[in-house]
Amino acid sequence: MIGLLALLACADPPRPPEPGVLTVLQEQQSAWVRNFNPLLSTGGARWPAAAGIYEPLAIYNRMRGEWVPWLATQWSWEVPAQVLRLELRSGVEWSDGAAFTAEDVVYTFELLAAQPALDAAGLWAFIEVVEQVGPREVRVRFQRPYSPGFALVAGQPIVPRHVWSQVADPVAFANPDPVGTGPFTEVRRFDPQVWELGRNERWWGGAPAVEVLRFPAVGSNDQALLALVQGEVDWAGSFVPAVERTYASHDPEHRRWWFPAVSDTVFLYPQTTRKGLDDPRVRRALSLAVDRERLVKVALHDYATPAGPTALSDGYASWRRADLGGVGEGWVRHDPAAAAALLDEAGYSLGEDGRRRGPDGTPLELPLIGPAGWSDWVRAAQVIGRDLDALGVRAPVQGLDFPTWFDRVSRGDFALTLGWSVSGPTPYPFYRALMGTGTVRPVGEPAPVNWHRYGDARADALLAEWEATDDPQEQRRLSDALQGLFVEEAPAIPLFPTPSWGEADTSRFTGFPDPADPYAVLSPNAVPDALLVLTRLRPRDGAAAARR
Amino acid sequence: MNLVRRLSLYLLAAWVALTLNFILPRAMPGDPAQALYARFQGRLDPEALGALRLTLGISDAPMFEQYMSYLGQLARGELGTSLVYFPAPVGEVIGVGLGWTLFLAGGALIVAFALGSGLGAWAAWRRGGWTDTLLPPLLSFLGAFPYFWLAMAAAWFFGVQLGWFPVRHAYGPEVTPGWNLDFAASAVRHALLPGATMVVASLGGWMLTMRNTMVGVLGDEPVRFGLARGLSPRRLFVDYALRLALLPSLTSFGMALGFVLSGALLTEMVFGYPGQGMLLLQAVRGQDYPLLQGLFLTITLAVLGANAVVDVLVVALDPRARS
Repeated sequence: MIGLLALLACADPPRPPEPGVLTVLQEQQSAWVRNFNPLLSTGGARWPAAAGIYEPLAIYNRMRGEWVPWLATQWSWEVPAQVLRLELRSGVEWSDGAAFTAEDVVYTFELLAAQPALDAAGLWAFIEVVEQVGPREVRVRFQRPYSPGFALVAGQPIVPRHVWSQVADPVAFANPDPVGTGPFTEVRRFDPQVWELGRNERWWGGAPAVEVLRFPAVGSNDQALLALVQGEVDWAGSFVPAVERTYASHDPEHRRWWFPAVSDTVFLYPQTTRKGLDDPRVRRALSLAVDRERLVKVALHDYATPAGPTALSDGYASWRRADLGGVGEGWVRHDPAAAAALLDEAGYSLGEDGRRRGPDGTPLELPLIGPAGWSDWVRAAQVIGRDLDALGVRAPVQGLDFPTWFDRVSRGDFALTLGWSVSGPTPYPFYRALMGTGTVRPVGEPAPVNWHRYGDARADALLAEWEATDDPQEQRRLSDALQGLFVEEAPAIPLFPTPSWGEADTSRFTGFPDPADPYAVLSPNAVPDALLVLTRLRPRDGAAAARR
Repeated sequence: MNLVRRLSLYLLAAWVALTLNFILPRAMPGDPAQALYARFQGRLDPEALGALRLTLGISDAPMFEQYMSYLGQLARGELGTSLVYFPAPVGEVIGVGLGWTLFLAGGALIVAFALGSGLGAWAAWRRGGWTDTLLPPLLSFLGAFPYFWLAMAAAWFFGVQLGWFPVRHAYGPEVTPGWNLDFAASAVRHALLPGATMVVASLGGWMLTMRNTMVGVLGDEPVRFGLARGLSPRRLFVDYALRLALLPSLTSFGMALGFVLSGALLTEMVFGYPGQGMLLLQAVRGQDYPLLQGLFLTITLAVLGANAVVDVLVVALDPRARS
């Protein structure tokens, strides 16, 4: 019996993947479930569904800060910010050979109207009608001027009418054999542990140089790290501790990592309806007390840089106002003395026991909550807790299990919490979630964003103006004003922009973006930006021989 | 009569378990749509929360109504639709993990039980020999390590440093699942290291239990009488002593067998093995009620079923239990 087992075990040593097969590690799943429905908001569809098999009308490249034409080649406003006209790419075919036309685009948007469960971006909250103008021209009419709607329309993955109109229930449709316009459409194999997606020979940009994408199932961070270290992965978007030593040093010539600070900014959110935290001076004092340099060193292995005064990450580099100061300046500098002075001014003076008390004698105590399993955030919270303690404000750190934490945060049941923020191609959605009255929900009612419950009529006016204009100059002026308002009111305390994790092993493939050629972010987690990378990669000659 | 009483007891236990199964996930804070939305950490538009609720069909119906429809679905063998793996049915999702868990954890349990009991019996028979003096402390020592650490160390040393074993998955990417030799070989090779860590961690317990019972049985009068009557030691050992000494171990074996289906969570985490434990973890993280219920249901039924089988086996092995 044991002999037989041993024989079986030795019979089959692992073989390296053939050239042209790109191994990608993006989703963490212990077993794959076959689902290629790009319209599902549950995250139940496999990663390439929205960026690989299906494609959007245009891609916002956050490295370059520009829109890249994709299924749409040109667009313009017929009526400023209200009627959008899109011209579609010619010569595009679905992977089953049918022609891609304006009918497919109109059908996709109408499908979302009929099935609100699939309308993840909330398109029909502002769209009035989508109509076909010509065989390759589409007009999208909004209910009211709403220029931020362009990004949402352009980002919508388009599905084929001739296939989806036959589907009885598109919400429960797993779409096992997808028909798409994208560069990778052929499911070559699908097992719970590994699946492969072959290239689309009909792709409008010419058949991609990468022949096959392979996705091994990896269920945890530790497993992901191991796979990376062992060189089994060509492209990944994982957090890797001490990446230079644990990953790159094993093959310095080929292994690359690039963590640009273009993702969302992590904030320390004060619940601004609470007594004390409703005073901008107190919120600014908390910000001045935090030593962000030390925080990113302790919590994020120095991968992140501290946030600047406007809280806009490098993803908005072209929008940032320089006159408000940079990292370590203005209200995000580390200045305990100024923080103490601000609290004194707000009426929270230092008692003999080293605690700050309000005018009525109650000590200022601000418990800080966070998700317990997120070790980087827990360390960040501890640094903040100590910094505030030194100021005379007790901020006991409490780690909660994830569902409990998020439930409390979304109901506004906290004093201080760590949290992520909203991102988009312009600062509009970012500041809307931070300061817009429209996103404020009463305390006790779950809110998807604006957990700190801050709304400002001045912000509302600026946001409304933004919605009504498609003029870049005008939007820049409004963005400048919003940044000024944010710095003035300090509704939430920016800590650091989350790095966009990306690793690449160039021993088998070349053409990955890097700081020298930043044509896109390296991270495959950025969707649909990954299309820009997938279509640029080239297998190295003799890759098979060089491997192992 | 006895049988009817036992059967109704099992039914009652099943009902209590199923009801708890319904209540517990709903006692968690928040709802599944919120949990899914939070997983995206701001990459999803805030408007998606509404779409998620619609997609998942989150019910605001009164608890009692939900409970009745839950029981009705179970009676029809429907486990519902998983939320994390939406729109895959729960039965399909569990089916994937179930097979691998049975193979890995079940296999490791049987090996550990057989090997441990055998060593224990041998140690008691040859009392004072090297199996008796050396093995128990050594195995207890290994078993006393925190399992997570033991598994990590094994994965690192044998998997990464020496490269003898693969350190993730249930089979290699180069084979196609099915009835072929390549696949079987790959599956066995992938199960060896995680299986071995499970065996090593539990071997000491099985061995000590067996050894201690055996020592007691061997000292009993019937055995000494048999020896005096001239029964061959071999026959005495196998046919009489072993059969009696096996009883307590068999009961724990039944219990352990039932719990195999809950998956070896830590093993599966360390070795990235696609079994029930990983599913359970993902179901809890995503507040996937239907998947949680389905998993608990299989675990409950397995524990009850294994107990029933052990009941029968004990009666067969031990004449005293028949009356």
